[in-house]
Amino acid sequence: MDIKPFTAEPIRVLAPDGSTVENADKLGLSKDDFLTMYRWLVFVRGVDDRGYILVRQGRAGFYAQVAGQEAAQVGSALPLLKDDWMYPDHRSQGSMLVKGLTATEWFGHVLGRMADPTQGRLMPHGPGRRDLHIVPPASTVGNKITEAVGTAMAQRIKKRKEVTICYMGDGATSEGDFHVGMNFAAVYQAPALLFVQNNQYAISMRTDQQMRTKTIAEKARAYGMDGYLVDGNDIIAVYAVTKHCADSARSGNGPSLIEAFTYRYGPHSSADDDTRYRPKGELEMWRTQRDPVTRMRKFLESRGLWSDEQEQKLQAEVKAQLAAAMEEAEKSPVPEPLSVFDYTYESLTPHLQWERKQLAAELGV
Amino acid sequence: MATAQVAKQTQSTMVQALQSALVEEMDRDKDVVILGEDIGVRGGVFLITEGLVDKFGTDRVIDTPLAEAGIIGAAVGMALYGLRPVAEIQFIDFIFPGFDLLVTEAAKIRYRSAGQFGVPMVIRSPYGGGVRGGSYHSQSPEAYFVATPGLKVVVPSNPYDAKGLLIASIRDPDPVVFMEPKKIYRSVKSDVPAGTYEVPLGKAAVVREGKHASLITFGAMVPVALEAADIMNKDGVEVEVVDLRTLQPYDTEAILQTVGKTGHVVLLQEAPQIGGYSGEIAAFIAENAIEYLEGPIVRVGGWDTAFPYALEKAYMPNPNRVVRALKKTLNF
Ligand SMILES: Cc1ncc(C[n+]2csc(CCOP(=O)(O)OP(=O)(O)O)c2C)c(N)n1
Repeated sequence: MDIKPFTAEPIRVLAPDGSTVENADKLGLSKDDFLTMYRWLVFVRGVDDRGYILVRQGRAGFYAQVAGQEAAQVGSALPLLKDDWMYPDHRSQGSMLVKGLTATEWFGHVLGRMADPTQGRLMPHGPGRRDLHIVPPASTVGNKITEAVGTAMAQRIKKRKEVTICYMGDGATSEGDFHVGMNFAAVYQAPALLFVQNNQYAISMRTDQQMRTKTIAEKARAYGMDGYLVDGNDIIAVYAVTKHCADSARSGNGPSLIEAFTYRYGPHSSADDDTRYRPKGELEMWRTQRDPVTRMRKFLESRGLWSDEQEQKLQAEVKAQLAAAMEEAEKSPVPEPLSVFDYTYESLTPHLQWERKQLAAELGV
Repeated sequence: MATAQVAKQTQSTMVQALQSALVEEMDRDKDVVILGEDIGVRGGVFLITEGLVDKFGTDRVIDTPLAEAGIIGAAVGMALYGLRPVAEIQFIDFIFPGFDLLVTEAAKIRYRSAGQFGVPMVIRSPYGGGVRGGSYHSQSPEAYFVATPGLKVVVPSNPYDAKGLLIASIRDPDPVVFMEPKKIYRSVKSDVPAGTYEVPLGKAAVVREGKHASLITFGAMVPVALEAADIMNKDGVEVEVVDLRTLQPYDTEAILQTVGKTGHVVLLQEAPQIGGYSGEIAAFIAENAIEYLEGPIVRVGGWDTAFPYALEKAYMPNPNRVVRALKKTLNF
């Protein structure tokens, strides 16, 4: 498959009905690879469904779902290697899970428990794990772009054959950080993949209110970088494009911008009311006719790789696995109050020691 | 601190001292890289990095596009990866396009990651007035940084400290804003050892002993404080001058000690007063050492205006203004 930048139409392997528009067998992917992709899609959707219940139960203060965007997240994370770095944004749990974060850790994060590797420090925008090279996301939209490029610059300076992927939404491309980061990445030919999940909304703001260009991918041209537009609901295409860009960056050919065109099903977050701004019927159309999980399943079925029995078995497995993960997260303790001072600096300053004594007195410990 | 016997002492300017700190740290640790605008062949506009690109190459002496958000953001990303970046912001007045990355990201990632990630980086930048720089080449914005937990803020006042503090800052595991008083880049010389030494962060220095009043200051105001102390000395008043050197975290012990000794305090800074750094030190003293005070804590600083070009002299704190403040608390 010939993967070209700056196409007018999104790069696609699977049509919405699961039939192929490109030869899926020429991508070097095995049957098992296809099955792995599908299992991840189901798992990520399951995590989100289970996680969102915590909000309804009043046990989590915030949740941003990835539902609808699973193919963009899983498809872009699967080609990454162990040593590659990931900068997630506030809607990237699917990618983090593929990179190695566990469901228990994710639920622990949403609940603010010690099962969260970041010990409940950030509202549930995402944890991070140093050993997996997952940097905790920022709440401030756009902040991670220049940082991710800095990490990619460091990878180049150290002559490592690694890449850094940076996730962002369409809204983030309006921030100055995007421009600065794109420019730095291009100037230094840093091995960075700037991955935009264009879910067509930044809270209520449609992309046509956000920018004047037709696509986000075309912005890359102005920086001297290749930009790829891919169908973000086609996991095989997302995988192929990301792999192509990662290979290119790894072999010293610099950064790429990838725009995965997709759609979010949930409200912006649990604090949003999306009925105020979505046109009638739009959500239903995407859910019923463009769903990334269904698309992959139909593809597998058309190849005789998947059956109803297998589907039932997988759903049951995921359900049991997530129930166990949730139980473990719930059993995990909340952080100790006196730990509020920890990690401001590597060690407590005299001033923080003094404040710590005050809190200890207040708590009677 | 420096070891007692240092082989070679040379009279150096602060520019030379800072450069030798950079060279020695880059020689010692291959992960130390420097980045900023015009720091390569140009050597930086104040020539702190002159010749470094020839010695260390463009991978470690990185000329950047004109974007402070990019310089600070990239430095954060490099530090997260394991490098030890030292970023130069050409004038601290131009740090604000990168301020977001500094206060939102650099300062908070250790906390937010529960200690998994640290950001060992230094932002060096010339600050301060007295060089006919007008509103945007003269400011002293330390208050913004000290109000941000997670950042350390260091301000040397002489070449010896500049070298030792910069070395300590580069080796520090947390992000350091290193403010260089450009007024004394080349106007003051002191003995600077050729070898490596650290001046520890968080430790003040008593630069002149005295028993009647304490004048607490830092950076480019230290010479002004010493002049004021000289004037007072003519009347037999002995003023102790304390150079804080690190503003965050600051040396609480040194402050309590000098206040306990003299009972009179004047705080001197270059920046405007409202919400300024001296307010923090005044509050700390009032909270913890009120029983020693025999007069009001008096502040001297720039006026609460923008920094003027033509009226720089009327704006900047001078020794006479400091003397008046000392008399105000001593004659209470
Ligand atoms: C700098 C900044 N401004 C505003 C916000 C509030 N906010 C959070 S997410 C968001 C929209 C982000 O849209 P997009 O980048 O497209 O990502 P999406 O949420 O759609 O995945 C806004 C306005 C913020 N977090 N940071």
